[in-house]
Amino acid sequence: MIMLKLQRNLADLALPIAMALLCIIFTIAEPAFLSFGNLSGILRQVALTGIMAIFMTYVIMTGGIDLSVGPVMALAGLAAYAVYYGTGLPVGFAILFGLSVGMVVGTINGFAIAAFGLPPIIVTLGMLSIVRGFALLMGGPDLHQVRDEPFYTFLGNGRILELPVSVWIFFGLAALMFSVEKRTSFGLMISSIGDNMRAVFLSGRSVTKTVCMVYVLSGMGAAVAGMLLSSQVHTASATYGEFGVELDVIAAVVLGGTSLMGGKGSVIRTVFGVLLLGVINNGLNILNVPVDQQLMVKGVIIVAALAVSEWAQRVKSGR
Amino acid sequence: MSGEILLETREVSKRFGNFVALKSASIAVTAGKVIGFVGSNGAGKSTLIKVITGAHAPSSGSVHVRGKEVHKADPALMRALGVACIYQHSSLVATLSVIENVFLGREMRGRLGLVSHKAQRVQLQEIMDDFGIHVDPDVLVSTLTPVKQKEVEILKALVANADVILMDEPTAWLSLSEVSNLHTTIRKLTAANKGVVYISHVLDEVFQICDDITILRDGTMAWTGPEADIDRPKLVNLMVGEALGEASRAAVTSERRPRGTGTVKLATDKLSKQGVFHDVTFEVNAGEILCFAGLIGSRRSEVVKCLFGDDKPTSGTIISKGGVKTFGSPAEAIANGICLVPEDRHTEGLCLSHTTFENTVIPSLVEVTNRGVLMRKDMDAMCTRQITSLNILPPDPAKVVGQMSGGNQQKVLLGKWIEKDPEVLILDEPTVGVDVGAKAEIYAIIRKLRDEGAAVIVVSSDLEEVMTIADRILVFSNGEITTEFDAGEVTNDLLIHAIGGGESA
Amino acid sequence: MISKIAARVPNGGLIAFFVVMTLFFCFFARNFATATNVENILVGYSFIAIVALGQMFPIMARGIDLSIGSILALAGMVVFDAILIFELPGWIAIILAIAAATLAGTLNGLFIVILSLQPFVATLATLAGYRGLVYAISGRQLYPELATTPLRDPSLAWFNEYYDVGAWFGLDAFITTPWIPASFLVLLVVMVFLYVLLAKTPYGTALKATGGNKEAARLAGLRVRMIEVSAYAMSGFLAGIAAVLLVARLTTSTEALGIGMELTAIAAAVIGGTRLLGGQGNVLGPVLGAFFLGVVLIGLTLMGISQFVQQMLTGAILLAAVGYDAIRRGAGQ
Repeated sequence: MIMLKLQRNLADLALPIAMALLCIIFTIAEPAFLSFGNLSGILRQVALTGIMAIFMTYVIMTGGIDLSVGPVMALAGLAAYAVYYGTGLPVGFAILFGLSVGMVVGTINGFAIAAFGLPPIIVTLGMLSIVRGFALLMGGPDLHQVRDEPFYTFLGNGRILELPVSVWIFFGLAALMFSVEKRTSFGLMISSIGDNMRAVFLSGRSVTKTVCMVYVLSGMGAAVAGMLLSSQVHTASATYGEFGVELDVIAAVVLGGTSLMGGKGSVIRTVFGVLLLGVINNGLNILNVPVDQQLMVKGVIIVAALAVSEWAQRVKSGR
Repeated sequence: MSGEILLETREVSKRFGNFVALKSASIAVTAGKVIGFVGSNGAGKSTLIKVITGAHAPSSGSVHVRGKEVHKADPALMRALGVACIYQHSSLVATLSVIENVFLGREMRGRLGLVSHKAQRVQLQEIMDDFGIHVDPDVLVSTLTPVKQKEVEILKALVANADVILMDEPTAWLSLSEVSNLHTTIRKLTAANKGVVYISHVLDEVFQICDDITILRDGTMAWTGPEADIDRPKLVNLMVGEALGEASRAAVTSERRPRGTGTVKLATDKLSKQGVFHDVTFEVNAGEILCFAGLIGSRRSEVVKCLFGDDKPTSGTIISKGGVKTFGSPAEAIANGICLVPEDRHTEGLCLSHTTFENTVIPSLVEVTNRGVLMRKDMDAMCTRQITSLNILPPDPAKVVGQMSGGNQQKVLLGKWIEKDPEVLILDEPTVGVDVGAKAEIYAIIRKLRDEGAAVIVVSSDLEEVMTIADRILVFSNGEITTEFDAGEVTNDLLIHAIGGGESA
Repeated sequence: MISKIAARVPNGGLIAFFVVMTLFFCFFARNFATATNVENILVGYSFIAIVALGQMFPIMARGIDLSIGSILALAGMVVFDAILIFELPGWIAIILAIAAATLAGTLNGLFIVILSLQPFVATLATLAGYRGLVYAISGRQLYPELATTPLRDPSLAWFNEYYDVGAWFGLDAFITTPWIPASFLVLLVVMVFLYVLLAKTPYGTALKATGGNKEAARLAGLRVRMIEVSAYAMSGFLAGIAAVLLVARLTTSTEALGIGMELTAIAAAVIGGTRLLGGQGNVLGPVLGAFFLGVVLIGLTLMGISQFVQQMLTGAILLAAVGYDAIRRGAGQ
């Protein structure tokens, strides 16, 4: 009976259990793993991916995908840079402009997908190219120094209560979006649409608006991450958010247990997925595992985790 | 050779655990003849088909092909023995051409083992000429009309050398003229000494095309014999059995309120959709249950879709709340107090991997939110209210609806609309796949809504259901209203005549 | 008659557009209509066309293969190791590389079919996994002194030859004909092979049926799981061939070979009219898609248009292709 119950909940508990196990293994192998410095280092490393993964969770819950987040990061950083140095307006405006650039890209994605019914993977793949080209056209391939604005620098490098600001932003957004998911009609709509879009439409809800909004948010999340990145490295460049970022983000979401078929998922699970990837990366670094083997281990872990959760889901639904 | 028995089942029974799905069924498919299987849902038709196609092994009894008993039948073996089945849902690949579909999995090989398109083309042309079927072999199946697709499936069976061709509801997606085309094709098949099994809910067609008829009810064969020996009323009686009589007796005891309070809640004037339904004019009043009776395929669901803004009529008007309305989307219809419980609760009604709680509140999200933030208390109250008043089992708001029984799923679906306090509630086949107990509960719910002043439209193909709950009945036939009855004045026979043939109307 | 032929050529719109763009560049881009430039386009996009053809197979089976970039690198590294470390003859190295790539593709298929993973996720994981394997077997890291040694094996070098095909037919008497690179000849062979496979063997129909309607394919007695696995094996196999061409041209291999290649391949396949919903595809489409990208990008370069604008245009072309497809389908219904 207990075994049965355990099996049923395995799908939900697998991730925390796996993470605890990994932490124990890494700590035994290298006690320094558990030091505050190392743990906060992990968080700092995953914060940007995490921020994007939070919003990507929404996208994937509706059954879509957003491949265009990488170049949006670059464009948002550049946009903020351009406004700050180009117009002399206060830094707040620069940040707002960066955010709105991300939202504009998201709106285009969302509109093409929701209103015209185009396949998300192709639309956002096309936008990936367009936005990157646009960023390069605007900013050129060079690095632009962003050093002398204290608030902007603080966002990427400052610490509050010993933790980097970017980590606070990550957790803040995660908490915010988690409560949006659980406490607002928007959150309920997202997962319902992924489950049965037709039923939601026949229930008199506006499906198009919600789907569009999800991509707008994803663009905004990428913009936040992009500006934090440019702040961290004191430069803005059109080449940031290089190819592969979007795949890392998607991997984190999927690892958290959000199904690419839509309907199922949660921001909180994604946070675990992000942390798990961070712990794996960090642990392998600490153990001095060469880069090549790290990649392989990562691949194996993703496949194994998904195969287990697929299996656990089947047990759960009694098929 | 005409008259030869191609396939027969002898005393075939099929049990699933304690449940007997089919009891000593003996049927024979004769060369050159069409045999019709009729019966309501759950009567054992599909079990019988599955036994014949080898998908189910019979628990007892035997299947014989051309007089020889078939041991250990499986789908591949039965196909090889010349039994082909054309399923209700197309089993063609829409993205392949006609000829590719026809030869899928049985390509003709030429030199070097390559597919010989030439030989295939020649053979297909021969068969098409023999049977007078004309389809362009090179077009994609997705571009064909439904009846042409059925012909492609027939060609596929013929290429596979099938002698016995089963057709499960072949006309479900066809218009009337297409049906007669299909029947012409079937006649050609029988002329070539093929045996055809025709399974249909549409009695008109059964009488038109079948030489023999087998009536199934509750897993047993209620009647079998030549088509000439039975008439429509008798057939319907045998199909639905004594239950209908009981239902109508029970119905007498419950009060009927044709035209309810007399306040018109929703009306249409000559509502038409080209090629689908035409000149549908009716009104439904507060406090009455109006049943759309008719056979499957009489286009009632299509009418209802237009009333709900899910489809657009080509002409005619909808009058709601005193004015002429055009609903561009379900949201607009809902805003006018019209709600629809769709026919297919899985694809159109419910979010199956979501909970009772979530499904219940989706249509009422505006009511339970304060600037987009969900108000838990109101939602809980709403959900609990529906769970108690509708007796949803298990009474757990967090239960995932995909794991509930059909009856309880239907109650959740009802509950989500009752919360909208509909002025007009439309239910499309509300009790399909629902067990008897839950059925009675659902009827009670519908009556209660009526008593509280709602105008209720029930689309039902189940005569028993119509006799049980209707206050007033509109009979649909092929996209038209043919007859209207007040429930108090209608008898079984009258209704059966009106629905089954339409000649009494 | 003409309309019937047009109906049977699936890429009519793209071909017309292709011709228009080519003419446009012939007039407006300096040096576009030269033999050298044609050679550049042929050699630069033949291997992309092969990868795109490979990508078409999983897409036809209603899946996707994100790992081909890594498979490409894997095969490239196998060539590198086999020739420089194990000093095997080039042709054995080539066979080994293609075998390794096919194996990697098969493994993708098995993950998807046996573990019932979604293709996107499974190949996303192997994208990382195979890339890791490339680093692990990299001869450049194991023997740093070999890193700068070019691959000069004769069998491999053949793939980087050019043939004066025009001269064979005496055409060069009239105009300067471009020399045809061996990689383009390989592409032609691959196209013929795939054409026969898809159009002349039962496999082709079986693959389309599996992607178009799995249940119907199963009812027709096809072994759909095997067919699905084979689609990924084909994708790996063709990535292996492309890797050989690429390594021959670069005369070396790196760990970073083929990064981002999956997206280019998907784009080429989609521009070529392959639908993500599965069940459809033809040999001409992805090749046209790849060379269309090639013509536009090289044409714009010659016109002096910024490389960045070209990148934007690539995306715009992709969006236009799906948009066009959606409109056409909408109009057809």
